[in-house]
Amino acid sequence: MRPSIFVLILLAVCAPLTACKRSLSASDVRAFIDKADETARKRYAPEICALRGKNFRMKLTFQGANRAIAPSEMEIGRALYCRNAGSFARLRQYELERQSLEIDVAADRKTAVVDAQYVEKMPFYDPQMSPPASPFDYREVQILTSHDRSVVGIESGDLVFLSTEAETGQELIDKKSIPPVQVD
Amino acid sequence: MKPFAGPMMLLLVVVGFLLYRSTSGDKTPAREFTETELAGPAPDYQGTCYALSTVIIANGVFGNVPRAWTSPRKGAWTLTLENVTQGAGGPVREFQTWTFEQHDAQIRLIEADASPQYPKDITENIDRLLVAPNRRGSTPVDRCLKDGGSGYNFRKK
Repeated sequence: MRPSIFVLILLAVCAPLTACKRSLSASDVRAFIDKADETARKRYAPEICALRGKNFRMKLTFQGANRAIAPSEMEIGRALYCRNAGSFARLRQYELERQSLEIDVAADRKTAVVDAQYVEKMPFYDPQMSPPASPFDYREVQILTSHDRSVVGIESGDLVFLSTEAETGQELIDKKSIPPVQVD
Repeated sequence: MKPFAGPMMLLLVVVGFLLYRSTSGDKTPAREFTETELAGPAPDYQGTCYALSTVIIANGVFGNVPRAWTSPRKGAWTLTLENVTQGAGGPVREFQTWTFEQHDAQIRLIEADASPQYPKDITENIDRLLVAPNRRGSTPVDRCLKDGGSGYNFRKK
């Protein structure tokens, strides 16, 4: 093999490395959040999971529809988050709307803090009731209003969520009182 | 250059593989660890007649629940099971962890932690872990296959 061909092969092998990110900008993060939202709408767990860093942690404070019960709090790691994303895929009717987005890129441009507000609409399957006979076997629609604060960083050259803290409030509405949510 | 291109590629692959192996580390305990007999609680640490792997398998590998092994130190492994369930107030994380440590020809449960609905007491945890292998009549370790072989809470088939 001539040296010039060898160099060309080396360049070709190393070319993808130049696509790896070493710093991020607000527009990168905005594009990443758009992609993450679109992935959430598709509810395909492997894609949702791929956007989370290997040490991803999520802290959730959840105020249920019954305000007499104190909010539940939980903190989970990536493995459990990904498994839950799998069960999320079983939903047949789901809407996600982003209400606001604020991005604060760190001075070193390695991470960014993202504040976003979301409204999600999906069927509510009462855990006290027997398992639903079909995805349409529900009486109430839950509307979840969330304020998410996420840290976005770079891992292996790609943008990922490093952590998310979410405060979510739940409202339950009789499904007959609102137009049916989107069916995919 | 040409005669070296093939060996260089091979060398690159071998070095890459070795690097990966040396940095990835073990994610589960070695077979020698899980094939060792689980001990009963202190102070006697009487053998239970079941290998740790038998106990884990008999418990149905705890259903379809995410589980992970971590090693806090040499000779010790922690098994964590966790799940998200719907509580009255919203989603709740449930978890159980057991830390097992090798002591010669025994594996001892030295620590148990769990969310409030599960016991944290070591003896209670061992008793709960042994229910499934006893009920199923799982295969005991060689020592207990012989006549007169006995173990903590062990019921022969």
